[in-house]
Amino acid sequence: MSVIRHFVKKEFRQVFRDKQMLRMLLIVPIVQLIVLGNAINLDVKHVRLAIFDHDHSEVSRDLLSRFRSSDYFDIILADQSKLSALMDRGKIDISVVIPEGFARDLGSGSTAKAQLIVDAQNSNLAGIATGYVNGVFGSFQEDFRNRMLEKNPDIKSKIHSVEVVSRVFYNPEMNTYFATIPGIAVLLLTIITTLINALNIVREKEIGTLEQLMVTPISKFQFVMGKSLPFAILGYIELAIALAVGMLWFKIPFAGSFLLLAFSAALFLMTTLGAGLLVSTVAQTQQQALFTAWFFLVFCIIMSGFLTPIENMPTALQYLTYLDPLRYMIKVTRGIFLKGSTFFDLKYELAAMAIYGTAMFALAIFRFRKSTT
Amino acid sequence: MSTSSPMIAANDIKKTYKDTDALRGINLSVSRGEIFGLIGPDGAGKTSLMRILCCLMSFDGGTATVAGFDVEKQSGEIKKRLGYMPQRFSLYPDLSVGENIRFFASLFGVERDAYQTRFAELMQFSKLEPFINRRAAALSGGMKQKLALSCTLIHTPEILILDEPTTGVDPISRFEFWEMLRKLARQGVTILVSTPYMDEADKCDRVALIHKGNILAVGTPSEITQEFKHSVLEIEGANLFDLRRDAETLPSVVEVHLYGDRMHIVTSDIFRCQGELQAKLGISLESVRKVAPSIEDTFISLLK
Repeated sequence: MSVIRHFVKKEFRQVFRDKQMLRMLLIVPIVQLIVLGNAINLDVKHVRLAIFDHDHSEVSRDLLSRFRSSDYFDIILADQSKLSALMDRGKIDISVVIPEGFARDLGSGSTAKAQLIVDAQNSNLAGIATGYVNGVFGSFQEDFRNRMLEKNPDIKSKIHSVEVVSRVFYNPEMNTYFATIPGIAVLLLTIITTLINALNIVREKEIGTLEQLMVTPISKFQFVMGKSLPFAILGYIELAIALAVGMLWFKIPFAGSFLLLAFSAALFLMTTLGAGLLVSTVAQTQQQALFTAWFFLVFCIIMSGFLTPIENMPTALQYLTYLDPLRYMIKVTRGIFLKGSTFFDLKYELAAMAIYGTAMFALAIFRFRKSTT
Repeated sequence: MSTSSPMIAANDIKKTYKDTDALRGINLSVSRGEIFGLIGPDGAGKTSLMRILCCLMSFDGGTATVAGFDVEKQSGEIKKRLGYMPQRFSLYPDLSVGENIRFFASLFGVERDAYQTRFAELMQFSKLEPFINRRAAALSGGMKQKLALSCTLIHTPEILILDEPTTGVDPISRFEFWEMLRKLARQGVTILVSTPYMDEADKCDRVALIHKGNILAVGTPSEITQEFKHSVLEIEGANLFDLRRDAETLPSVVEVHLYGDRMHIVTSDIFRCQGELQAKLGISLESVRKVAPSIEDTFISLLK
């Protein structure tokens, strides 16, 4: 035990002596959380919309003003002949053309048509923007029908109205921070703990102290624990920083149990620290370690469902995401953070993380034993 | 263990890397308190042999014991009694002299009281006392080497294995370093040391000449040079390259060894050789002197 304690002391001494490292560990995550928390915003706002009104009626002007008053749209004034050129240059995202006779068709009860042209280069944006436009048309139609009913109550029987009332749970203001901050916190935890362990051990390999350690009577297990414990503690510090930024800066309420989050983090850290150790057994230089670790990290981040919903992926790839440890940790962290999920709510995710953590750590120790003799 | 049984024994050790034979059946026996030198050029197999004896590397044939323990099966016992300084001994550059020593002491499980006594001893021994709080990165090459030795000695090992400890160290530090080794040997520490410097061979009790995985000769430095059957004439001067080529053509010359500004002419007949040098190359008798063959001469002839 005393050997491990001395190891922990030594690692902390080295970390705290390295001012550059300390900045990386303590300040960079705060900056990243604040910057990325604001940057990664999956809401679509300020869609650049061009409206061409050929009807010039009271009805069409009403429709226009509805678009103007929505903060999802920035209205672009343009000449219709230049529409396609403007869209090519990326100046317009979406355009609505209201043809002549729009009000007349609507009043006469026949179908009134309007044209919607969308730049679908970014299909995500295009889909959401189309939804917004349809939403505006929907409410416009609803109001129009109500006005018609006031004037002419007889037609009521002819109009069937279905009203969908949505209620949003857990994040009623549909605040994107709520989803992104716990996600970014997990990403930071993953990147820092995987890389720090891999780079630290490979650095000992590079400067030759690893061989020096191998001729001392310490066991491989003591070595691995001596390395992993201090970095696990650092991982908790990172997590605490991320929570503090999320709660104090972004004002996200923490609904669940800190203890459960700490427990989940322990399982997860076994995976990331084990992965770091595993990388250190194949890499000879810090550069190799960085590239190897980064390759897997990018893969895990993309597949985790953090940026794009897993449901949007092809079915085969959706199964692949079950192999991604981040998938579970992000879900668990969001669950505990936003919903106050309990141990039993998350039992499958926690079980997966426990299996993952144990397997990864065991494999890493096995590989490490082999690589050093 | 009786004092007569060897502290390090290697029997027919073989090691093969993918396509090269690094060690081709090495036999070695080092007694307690002996300084045993492994002399050979780079790639001779010195480091491989040392790493095997330190339980750091597997091998393909033979057996080896260190302090009476089997290298393959009892590495734990060996590691407690062994101090190993690799060629590029590594310290934590961001830790101070004191912190480095303290850390290694903790890895060897040195008790607090024993540590304090030993630390004081080593500080005096290595003259590192004034630098206890200095970062290892800020030490000179010679001081780094002394710190490395101190870290290796903190657990009072019975056996020291040092891989080219003085490579890249200034001459004064080299001299001091060997003085330290001599003191340790007098205390009963068994030392296996490798060096590419032939002049350091004379400081060992016994040496083994090793080349391409084979031991060519073993013995005290004087025994080794006695194996040398020829005589040696030395010429000093600059630009000896041309002279060497000419000298090699003389009938009485066996071979010529060039060491920087000195040239050793190996001959079986000194008088005839001196005559030929004077007659054919115009070298006066005064500029040529007979010297005792060095280990280097022996080594080079053994190679041929």
